[in-house]
Amino acid sequence: MTLYHFLVVSAILFSIGLYGVLTRRNILGIFMSIELMFNAANLNLIAFNHYLYPGNVWGQGFVLFIITLAAAEAVVGLSLVLAIYRNIKSVYTENMTILHG
Amino acid sequence: MFEIGPALSRFWQIAQQAGTSHGLAPIASLVLVMAIQVGLAILGVLLVPIVLVYAERKVSAFMQARLGPMEVGPFGIFQTIADGIKLFFKEDIIPTGADRWVHIWAPIIACAPAFICYAPVPFGKNLLLVDLDIGVLFIFAISGVSVIGILMGGWGSGNKFSMLGGIRAAAQVVSYEVPRVLSVVPVLMFYSSQSLRQIALAQQDRWLYVVPKWFILYPVIGQVAFLIFLICSVAETNRTPFDIAEAESELVAGFHTEFSGLKFALFFLAEYAYVFLASAMATALFLGGGDGFLSSSGWIPSWFWFLGKTFAIVFVFLWFRWTYPRMRVDQLMSFCWKFLLPLSFINILLTGLWILWR
Amino acid sequence: MNSIPDVVFFVFAALAIGSALVVVIARNVFHSALALTLSLATVGGFFALLGADFLAAAQILIYVGGIMIIMLFVVMLSQRPAATLERQTNRQGFWGAVLALAMASALIIHFGLAYKTVVRASILTPTSQAIGRLLMGDMVIPFEVVSLVLLAALVGAVCFASELPEGSKR
Repeated sequence: MTLYHFLVVSAILFSIGLYGVLTRRNILGIFMSIELMFNAANLNLIAFNHYLYPGNVWGQGFVLFIITLAAAEAVVGLSLVLAIYRNIKSVYTENMTILHG
Repeated sequence: MFEIGPALSRFWQIAQQAGTSHGLAPIASLVLVMAIQVGLAILGVLLVPIVLVYAERKVSAFMQARLGPMEVGPFGIFQTIADGIKLFFKEDIIPTGADRWVHIWAPIIACAPAFICYAPVPFGKNLLLVDLDIGVLFIFAISGVSVIGILMGGWGSGNKFSMLGGIRAAAQVVSYEVPRVLSVVPVLMFYSSQSLRQIALAQQDRWLYVVPKWFILYPVIGQVAFLIFLICSVAETNRTPFDIAEAESELVAGFHTEFSGLKFALFFLAEYAYVFLASAMATALFLGGGDGFLSSSGWIPSWFWFLGKTFAIVFVFLWFRWTYPRMRVDQLMSFCWKFLLPLSFINILLTGLWILWR
Repeated sequence: MNSIPDVVFFVFAALAIGSALVVVIARNVFHSALALTLSLATVGGFFALLGADFLAAAQILIYVGGIMIIMLFVVMLSQRPAATLERQTNRQGFWGAVLALAMASALIIHFGLAYKTVVRASILTPTSQAIGRLLMGDMVIPFEVVSLVLLAALVGAVCFASELPEGSKR
């Protein structure tokens, strides 16, 4: 298992997440694709840490912070989604046009 | 004397060498031996609910001045097997409005993590599947996965009451996970290790040759941590007094209303497996699992002590069910967030001070 | 395929990529969320393969046991009965796919091929103590700042999600 294999998997996961962010109508679908992108980046960091810098754990410490901040962001974002749903009774992004010009 | 741990490890080594000498590649014989170990462990974990269901019915019967199951086998020993056979042959109904795949996978996802969690638990001297360095964290992480099974059960039933029951049960489990993990943190701080085997080993010492150095016997920190862990484990496994989500008189039967036959059996298997797992964890973390009363070695083997202490705590679980009334959902939640959580923080602080001054 | 880690890697890779595809293509949002749970769990498995045992357990604890449960809650609370019949993707499907493919090939060809010969060199050691020393030593300031961020996120989430009584001021 070379580093290349892990980078390929992480690149594929990242681009699948990118496709999801661009094409999903449901705002929860967009959230889930963002989480996929976060995880692809985490996988990348840990793979580089393991293969190129096996002595220390800086990559893993960084990933711990990314996981924590992704959790915080997901919590705030999802409570926003709940508040939006309560107001306009829909979770589809076409209907969220209040700020439209 | 009668220790089976070291003998078992030697047995697996001999089995591996036998496989290799008979023409298998070394990796193939290693995988085969591991597969046999895993199969035996799964069989062992399957044995747990059989014993616990019978124990619960007998204990509850005696507490209520009646006899319990007496028909099937002497003193009703085979009652659980009869119940299992009945559930196996029941018709499997999937409601029309339900999501079919979610309905099928919910009991599996609720039940499978229970088997995985038994891996790092030391059932005696050298008697564990794998000595993980992150044992405690591993068990907490994997048992969090079964909450997804509860949510799937609630959603996959296709009716609003099951969904509400599933949401309530999941909220309860997730809330009580926090003080549970925090109550174990003092143990981890004290013994500087997350490996259950090392924590159990570190407690096999004596003060003044008589008093064992179990964590529960430390003046304030031990008892508070043990009590919080016990109460949170009772809440985690949805048992009375915290069983508002699945009790017979509330919301029909909560999230497992629409599950019949083997799926229902799997949900209950999960619950009893988690009860035994929580008792085994409490024994290994707080009661020095495998440690005898007078000395650490002797005629009575370590697995006997471990199982004895675990069954004592299981008895406490069963005792709670038939003694206390049920708590309401809001009482339950405020008990967790407003009492248990600050108490576990204070406990961590006190343990830190103790470590600083010893 | 000459050792157990290789086989395990390919199984995990197939699971992760397969469930990621289900996440972005499925019609039913609940199925998407469940597929995302599987994908996150397999990424945790990758972490374990790479020797990051503490992070593998932390990933499953936080992501599967926390974030996905919140997401499943919100999916359950915001789903309309006929929603599973609606189309879930907008009309940017083609250009989205083009961009995703371009990104994937750029990442793999430009950055990945350079590391084709880097083989696993180190033995796997437990990392909990090392991470603990790092967090309390070199990374203590981000550690404290992250706790403030989490506090802010907690307060914010409670503020947004709580029901507003009719006609009251915040």
